[in-house]
Amino acid sequence: MRSKLLTAFLILLFALPFALLGLLAVGEGWRFPAALPPAYSLEPLRGLVAGGNGLLAGLGKSLLLASAVAVLATVGGFVVARAVVGARRPGRWTALSYLPYALPPVLLAVLIQPFIIRMHLSGSVGGVLLGLLLLALPFATLLLGSFWSQQATEYEQLARTLGCTPGQALRRVLLPLAAPLLRTTLVQTFLLAWFDFGLTNVLSVGKVRTLTVQVFTYVGEANAPLAAVASLLLVLPPLLLLLANKSALLRKP
Amino acid sequence: MLTVSHLSKQFNGQPVLRDISLTLAQGEVLAVLGRSGCGKTTLLKILAGIETADAGTLELHGQDLLPAPPNERQMVYLYQEPLLFPHLSVFENVAFGLRIRKVKEAEIKQQVTELLAELELSEHARKSPHQLSGGQRQRVSFGRALIIRPRLLLLDEPFGNLDAQTRAAMQELFGRVSRQHHITSIFVTHDSREALTVGSRLGYLERGSLTSFASVADFVADPRTNIAAELSFWENIRQTANPTSTPA
Repeated sequence: MRSKLLTAFLILLFALPFALLGLLAVGEGWRFPAALPPAYSLEPLRGLVAGGNGLLAGLGKSLLLASAVAVLATVGGFVVARAVVGARRPGRWTALSYLPYALPPVLLAVLIQPFIIRMHLSGSVGGVLLGLLLLALPFATLLLGSFWSQQATEYEQLARTLGCTPGQALRRVLLPLAAPLLRTTLVQTFLLAWFDFGLTNVLSVGKVRTLTVQVFTYVGEANAPLAAVASLLLVLPPLLLLLANKSALLRKP
Repeated sequence: MLTVSHLSKQFNGQPVLRDISLTLAQGEVLAVLGRSGCGKTTLLKILAGIETADAGTLELHGQDLLPAPPNERQMVYLYQEPLLFPHLSVFENVAFGLRIRKVKEAEIKQQVTELLAELELSEHARKSPHQLSGGQRQRVSFGRALIIRPRLLLLDEPFGNLDAQTRAAMQELFGRVSRQHHITSIFVTHDSREALTVGSRLGYLERGSLTSFASVADFVADPRTNIAAELSFWENIRQTANPTSTPA
């Protein structure tokens, strides 16, 4: 009974912000101390479909950036993690992988901004992508480092003696073995890029308006309905992603 | 015929293999006894092509093997762990080497089915590796190696993790299948009893140097194999347990 109550309480706690977002998105003239909005309107949602406020464009940019970061960081992390394990001093490289997390993302963005400007990438999707990769690649490397154990090497060597070329050993043995961890890394790096505000905001110099950046703008403008609609859009893809990868993310070690 | 001549290997300046030479005829099983760290694994890995030698030559049927990558040597290296591919069924694990070689589907089905029957694994064909016992996994691993008809089978303490009963059964199975398929193999172990059970030729590897024995008697007599001391130990136990009996 107690566990059921606790479960119900946790579900309520988790669902309440989403319900509130929904109400904020469709409620009109909702003022304190009213418990619920006095009227409801689908105008903000219609505005979203009309596309005048750039929400759909923001959604598209966010999806593009987060997907590109996830794929590049996961592929790169898989390769770099292997190189780190095979290096003469792997501990040193692992310690270096933690360096981007010694600074808040905003500060990291301020520090790399001069380089981004010199590469003529300031305010471009490419510049933001590069900045986000600086965060996501070390993260993916650390996450995928656990795959490259002695056993993975033994599996690869066994596959080679069974007749596999290096490419066949990768495709037929290593990638299927690493698949659950690769999926987890894809999801985690996607979320990292999807929800980033500080680094994206600095590097985009107001030109690359991702959905997260737009939410902060609407909140700053006290535009509650539009902020709520943007927030709902913001949580939808990660929620779908988490549900689709539930088994991989909740797998037992 | 396998011919290894003056094979040497160092790691960080420390010699691991010193001037190893051996010959092995078709169908022979060379059982190499040695303690941990004696260089057994390095020797097998060099033969398999997954480790490089510093010096020496390696020939199989007159072909220089050292420049050949592992996938072209047709020598399978079996680890202590069966290392079955967890994403494949028992059938697909055994069929792995044939699929890599792009053998026709009907032939794969026939060969794998026959081999599974020979290894008493037919009823487990559709199972995943995690559904098998330790001995069954090792049999699948053995079948996965056998199916490609290896020119040389390299076994690195393959039964080391099995219980005594399963281990004895696997040794018997290995001997039977080796004779039946006329497989040439090098079997390294730290168990003198296992060496005597599976080997048609015997060797002892110590600090990177290999001693080959001309006969079983020479192997037993060598104090490094510890067999004479073990026989004496069991004789003492027998006499303590039954003081009136006399040795046969």
